[in-house]
Amino acid sequence: MTPALEIRNVTRRFAGLIAVNDVSFLLQPREILGVIGPNGAGKTTLISLISGTLAPTSGDVLFEGQSLAGMPAYRRARLGIGRTFQIMRPFPGLSVLDNVAVGALFGHGGGHAKLAKAREQARAQLEFVGLGKFVDQRADELGGPGRKRLELAKALAMQPKVLLCDEVMAGLNLVEIDEVIAVIRKVRDAGISVLVIEHVIKAIKSLSDRLLVLHHGEKIADGEPDSVLANQTVVEAYLGKRRI
Amino acid sequence: MKALRIMLVLAAFAVLAAVPWFGSDVLIQFGINALLLAVLAQGWNIIGGYTGYASFGNSVFYGLGSYGVGIAMAQWHLPFAVGLVFGVVLAVTFAVLLGIPVLRLRGHYFAIATLALAQVMTAIVSNVELAGQNIGLVLPPLNNDRLFYELSLGLLVLATLTVFWLTRSRFGFGLIAIRENEEGAEVMGVNTTLYKTMAFALSGVFSALAGGIHAYWVTFIDPESAFDISLNVKMIIMAVFGGPGTVLGPVVGALSLSAISEFLSSEITSLASLFFGIVVVVAVVIMPRGLADMLRRFRKTGWRYFAENIRTHRL
Ligand SMILES: Nc1ncnc2c1ncn2[C@@H]1O[C@H](COP(=O)(O)OP(=O)(O)OP(=O)(O)O)[C@@H](O)[C@H]1O
Ligand SMILES: [Mg+2]
Repeated sequence: MTPALEIRNVTRRFAGLIAVNDVSFLLQPREILGVIGPNGAGKTTLISLISGTLAPTSGDVLFEGQSLAGMPAYRRARLGIGRTFQIMRPFPGLSVLDNVAVGALFGHGGGHAKLAKAREQARAQLEFVGLGKFVDQRADELGGPGRKRLELAKALAMQPKVLLCDEVMAGLNLVEIDEVIAVIRKVRDAGISVLVIEHVIKAIKSLSDRLLVLHHGEKIADGEPDSVLANQTVVEAYLGKRRI
Repeated sequence: MKALRIMLVLAAFAVLAAVPWFGSDVLIQFGINALLLAVLAQGWNIIGGYTGYASFGNSVFYGLGSYGVGIAMAQWHLPFAVGLVFGVVLAVTFAVLLGIPVLRLRGHYFAIATLALAQVMTAIVSNVELAGQNIGLVLPPLNNDRLFYELSLGLLVLATLTVFWLTRSRFGFGLIAIRENEEGAEVMGVNTTLYKTMAFALSGVFSALAGGIHAYWVTFIDPESAFDISLNVKMIIMAVFGGPGTVLGPVVGALSLSAISEFLSSEITSLASLFFGIVVVVAVVIMPRGLADMLRRFRKTGWRYFAENIRTHRL
């Protein structure tokens, strides 16, 4: 089976700093892959390299076997790559509904041509992530947790095949985290492959089929969540310094 | 509510359309100027108000439209309509060739880059023989102000319908998304480079048509007046005064500011421009998001609206 994503020896430098260093891995269809690592490990950079908002210094990203080299971000979105932003990027002056409608109007395959259809789909998507009551509010009036869900709804409205989540659970309480976990599971059950970056170890452990650990831009572990979390290098590099 | 608004707009349109049949010559001439300024403000609204790129290059489109008509009629003896099309072709070509590099810049950098364009164009046109160099061109006169008036009004209606279409089309949503967050729009599948260039060109089409009509009306163009940067400042003030990113704001802004400015210059000639400046500054302080936003919020918050705006300016 062709993997949903193949990351092949990808490196990204920023003036002297190597943010992502020769990283390779696969994301299989309908898989939930968790990515963890300390602050500055290169997780967000990795997502940007896949979604196309950053170009790799070297290496290649393949989507369903097709190289994405040189392809602008909007075309990757139309192929079926959806992402959320850790530093959220809502359309502040638009209603919550229209924020999501943009995803349905454009997005995978070019989206809907009709605004009414797009809004209809956006409404359903907002119900799905639990923002059904806020459709008419302006996006900049939403609180932090609401904005996290909005990021998710915007990406989902694009009808992606691959969803890249950058810390969508940060700042949420335990109940909200469980709700988002349930949403991501349903997304996967609908046939979407998911890459999730998260700092909440407990959440990511229960959610992920597989876990990948980044440290100083390098991949230091990749495998079954339980064995990865028990791995000596991982414990020293990351977990040892954190309260779990 | 919605029906009432449509009725009001239609009534306003009927009154405007009837002006040449009962108004004085002076009023008609004032009307032509005001309507063309409204077209310019509405055209700027597409790139500045909806897409969020504060263009100082729209007076270049206006100048190219003027010269399209000027060259076609004075040099080639072609009909006015052909001149308009020629001007539009020049403007769109300019928008595409310069838009692609310049629209990569954001915020102040974009404004400054476009500001330089008008200067460059004046210099270029002053040296083109076909364009009459720095002497300019004289067009065959047509003494029919009613026609020019109705033509300008028709163009304003067309520009306004186009902007209305933006608010409910996929293209317009793409532009608004770019304004609100360009990177966010790009990863959701908006071809931002293409959309920005198209918005710039569309904005240019209306500016060029306004320039073309104006050129034929005044029958004389020269590089200084055709590429006058202060015209660009005017359209921005008018669009922002009325409410950028709204369908009717720039039209109301342009017509009301034109009237205020006309009134002031006939009543207190010597201090008119000073008073005009004061009107604009006060407006920006007490209603920074334009008339349209003021009307919307005033209903909810009343006089508090102004107090709050003044407070946010820390006056
Ligand atoms: N645009 C940029 N220019 C320069 N350096 C950058 C840029 N983006 C990221 N970096 C650097 O690259 C490294 C990796 O950053 P990245 O944001 O990918 O980390 P992260 O794993 O997402 O961290 P966090 O857990 O804090 O979100 C950091 O040292 C960061 O300072
Ligand atoms: Mg990050």
